[in-house]
Amino acid sequence: MNELKLSLKLLWRNWRSGELKVLASAIVLAVTVVTAIAVFADRMDRSLQRQSNAYLAADRVISGRFPIPEDWQTYIDESAIEQSRTARFSSMVFAGNEMQLASIKAVAEGYPLRGTLEVSDVPFALGNDVVAAQGIPKSGEVWVDSRLLPILGVELGDTLSVGNKDFRISQVVIHEPDGGQGFSIAGPRVMMNYQDMDDTGVVQPGSRIFYRWLLSGEEPALEQLVDNITPVLGDHYRIRTLQDSQRSISSALDRGKSFLMLSGMIGVLLAGVAIAIAAQQFAERNVDAVALFKSLGASAVKVRRLYFSQLVALGLLSSFAGLVTGEILHRFIASSLATLFNVVLIGASWQAYGLGIFTGLVSLLCFALPPLWPLPKISPVRVLRREINIEQLSVWTRGLIGLAAVVLLIGLYSRDLQLTLTVVVGLIGILAIAVSLSLVLLNSSRQLGSKAGSTWRLAMSNLRRNRGHSSTQIVVFSCALMLLMVLFTVRTSLIDEWRLQLPENAPNHFVLNINASERDPITEEFEARNFEFNPLYPMVLGRLVGKNEYRYQEDDRHTSDSLQRELNLSWADELAPDNEIVDGQWWDQWQPNDAEYGVSIEYQTAQELGAKVGDELHFSLGGLELKATIASIRTVDWDALTPNFYFLFSPGALEGYSPTYLTSVYVPNQDKRFINEFLRKYPTLVILEVDRIIDRIKAIVDQVSRGIELVLWVVLLGGVLVLIAAVSASMARRMQEASILRALGSGGKLIVGSLWIEFSVLGFFSGLMAAAGAELILYFLQSEIFGQTAYFHGLMWLIGPVAGSIFIGALGAFACRRTVTVAPALVLRELQS
Amino acid sequence: MHIIEARNINKTVRSVDGDLTIIESLDLNVEEGTSIAIVGASGSGKSTLLALLAGLDVPSSGQIKLAGDDITSMDEEGRAQVRAKSVGFVFQSFQLLPGLSALENVMLPLELHGVADAGGRAKTYLERVGLSHRINHYPKQLSGGEQQRVAIARAFASEPKVLFADEPTGNLDSATGLKVIELLFDLNVEQKTTLVLVTHEQRLADRCQRQITLSAGDVVSDLNSSNAAIGLELSE
Repeated sequence: MNELKLSLKLLWRNWRSGELKVLASAIVLAVTVVTAIAVFADRMDRSLQRQSNAYLAADRVISGRFPIPEDWQTYIDESAIEQSRTARFSSMVFAGNEMQLASIKAVAEGYPLRGTLEVSDVPFALGNDVVAAQGIPKSGEVWVDSRLLPILGVELGDTLSVGNKDFRISQVVIHEPDGGQGFSIAGPRVMMNYQDMDDTGVVQPGSRIFYRWLLSGEEPALEQLVDNITPVLGDHYRIRTLQDSQRSISSALDRGKSFLMLSGMIGVLLAGVAIAIAAQQFAERNVDAVALFKSLGASAVKVRRLYFSQLVALGLLSSFAGLVTGEILHRFIASSLATLFNVVLIGASWQAYGLGIFTGLVSLLCFALPPLWPLPKISPVRVLRREINIEQLSVWTRGLIGLAAVVLLIGLYSRDLQLTLTVVVGLIGILAIAVSLSLVLLNSSRQLGSKAGSTWRLAMSNLRRNRGHSSTQIVVFSCALMLLMVLFTVRTSLIDEWRLQLPENAPNHFVLNINASERDPITEEFEARNFEFNPLYPMVLGRLVGKNEYRYQEDDRHTSDSLQRELNLSWADELAPDNEIVDGQWWDQWQPNDAEYGVSIEYQTAQELGAKVGDELHFSLGGLELKATIASIRTVDWDALTPNFYFLFSPGALEGYSPTYLTSVYVPNQDKRFINEFLRKYPTLVILEVDRIIDRIKAIVDQVSRGIELVLWVVLLGGVLVLIAAVSASMARRMQEASILRALGSGGKLIVGSLWIEFSVLGFFSGLMAAAGAELILYFLQSEIFGQTAYFHGLMWLIGPVAGSIFIGALGAFACRRTVTVAPALVLRELQS
Repeated sequence: MHIIEARNINKTVRSVDGDLTIIESLDLNVEEGTSIAIVGASGSGKSTLLALLAGLDVPSSGQIKLAGDDITSMDEEGRAQVRAKSVGFVFQSFQLLPGLSALENVMLPLELHGVADAGGRAKTYLERVGLSHRINHYPKQLSGGEQQRVAIARAFASEPKVLFADEPTGNLDSATGLKVIELLFDLNVEQKTTLVLVTHEQRLADRCQRQITLSAGDVVSDLNSSNAAIGLELSE
């Protein structure tokens, strides 16, 4: 107990004398970065899961073509699980003499369990006119899509008939959480009360009805339910998970998360370097103290215990401080993001905080312990003979411990082997290159020095004399600069890419069901109004019925989405820019052999169907059969919000099947009313609004970008800390040299000038090598991790050396300013004591 | 009674030119409560001998007993215990920790050995060396003489049986050195400590009861100093 008290006392005294400040700041920084990012990522993950569930309108959905059996109720623990039901089917609806095929959705009390149903009293409403629905349509009322009103020529309050029952139109539906984003030409929505469904008389045995059982509640209860119910689901029911509709948002966020992870790792690495340097310095400064302790009768074991407990106490205190600052930082990021979600960000798990503390202790032990390790072995004779050398752990041992820590931390943190290896290999590479190159460069600086003036000569000879030290500094500086450059570049290209993906005028409406005769007038109308739109794609509805000799059966339907529904089939001459062939050939190079027609199939669908290039697929189009050979397999960027198809045929293949056309168009907000007119003019058109989805993605991307910038600045702070640690490690030597020079009559100008030059040269070389290392790491990151195209970063090679020499030169000269402002005698005396 | 007994001790070290003998077949006994000066030219092995006698270093061969313990048969842990129990030091370069105040520097050995009321005892000794007004000053705020007085207070505060001093006035001017010498001997007499000191300075050596002169690692003269006896009598 006494010893612990003494350790804490010694720790306090060391802290007071400033010995521990850099070390402690580095730990605080590491823990801050890790905690902020881990906690934020964890909360984001959990909230996104909840948010995704909004797109299902529930936490779990069981769907099927038949009503949900009543006896399944017994599986539900009603105290823990809420439930609701929906049924969806197509039917003609009538108003006066007008009729229209509509997509009817009957919803039961409680719908939606997750997410918000938005309604309005104003057709095509925007902004404040849109409100969250209070409950569901009352019995005898329907809520409808805005576009149904002009088609039927009715208004709110008018009557609409579905089958045998008349309904009053009481509101318009603006947004359904589970409305999906896929194309449906089943017609505009009519939402009714579940209890009214039977009265319409349209639900008959054999009708195509899609039933959904919505469930939400506590996760354990839901998991229990799923486990119990899965065995009885059979072929007719299935548990639905998140659909493709969410892909745009989740992929933007996934990359954001990868980036945050990368920043976190880089932050930890930088902090690790700072910890190692600061610990080395701390160890050097404590050599005399330890020798004194031992001469006073403290045993090696006691010294080890005293220092180890100081280290652990420092680790715990700094980690705690880091935890607090990390929490503040993450709250900062989270508070802005939380406003975007309907649900409040869910609290983080304790593991995320644990990771912070763990990082603090691991980085302290692995980075700080090796330099401190030999301290207890210092011989007490050193109090008499200061020239005695201290046995250090070998460079290899220290390197290995450091490397192990890096791998452990990065691995634990990213849970991504590839990312870990990329960064580790990059780091080892740059270390090797930097050490050897720096020695060569320092040697070659001799020539430069010999031809220059006295200030340059002094600086160059300084660098050469302390070659070992200088090359260590170059390695440290270049690592720090490299990591920062990587981070800045990735962040810039990531944000640019997002912006590129969601340009200002991204199409916000899909127009479907355009007849051949309407093609030209519609195109002209868009052009007259200066709307930006995509080319018109032909589209034919069809079913996939067989592959090669095999005919698909009812039982095969669950294997692929493409077997469950009518498919939108199209053809195209040109490959869309966001599509990429992964197997086979596009039409211009395709060898049809005997095949009459070819088809290009989307990668995921091909996987589900087990289809490969050369297979023959059979489609049924309105009763007619069409055969086509798979010519190519494509990946499709579903994020791009442009029309895309699972199946694209060779030109001409669908000509005889009277296609309709579709396109996407950007309609500015102020022209929204145009859609109303447009629908009156072309009543059979289907228009889908995707503004909301786009707005949502944009808002999230903006917020995540802002979060990223904030994290970037914190990491930058880590870089500065490393630089300060490295400069201050050489401070004592510099002070001494400068004082001797001044004592010998050299002017302050000469000394400051040579310091500037010395650090600028170090900075220049470091910047150069950092650019090389960053280029290497970026190549792997961009091509392997972020799935971007790797390219050469010319600007980095310029900015690296220039910024390196200016920044490090200034930092060095600033840090060493005391060498010329304090009286030389004082410096020499201080150093001696 | 001999508080230090050294039997046939040798010390050789490896150097680039082969083995170098620093101490050769040296025998030495020191009576408890006496003062002894080890003098000799630079490189004669004075500091090495001091380190060996104090248990800071081990001889290549031979036996040394310090306060009854055979420190040559002990490991470093054992020697540390003996140092903790019986030994104090004063160094030429003071060896004060720069981050600690005068008081904390004096408290340090007491705290290391778990002495209760380390602060109180340290204050008493700082008072004794005339620095009660500077207890919260840091080493760099003190003059050389003051720093050495703090070191002396630290050495005596743990009330050692033997005090080893390595050139205690080596870094001080003549007048300050004199004051430090006075203080050292006053406390030595007061506490009946055995004092072993290495010095170049004749007036300091003269104050000791016994002077041995080393040359090339061997004792070339061993004299009882009359001056020392007088000094001792006077101070008594």
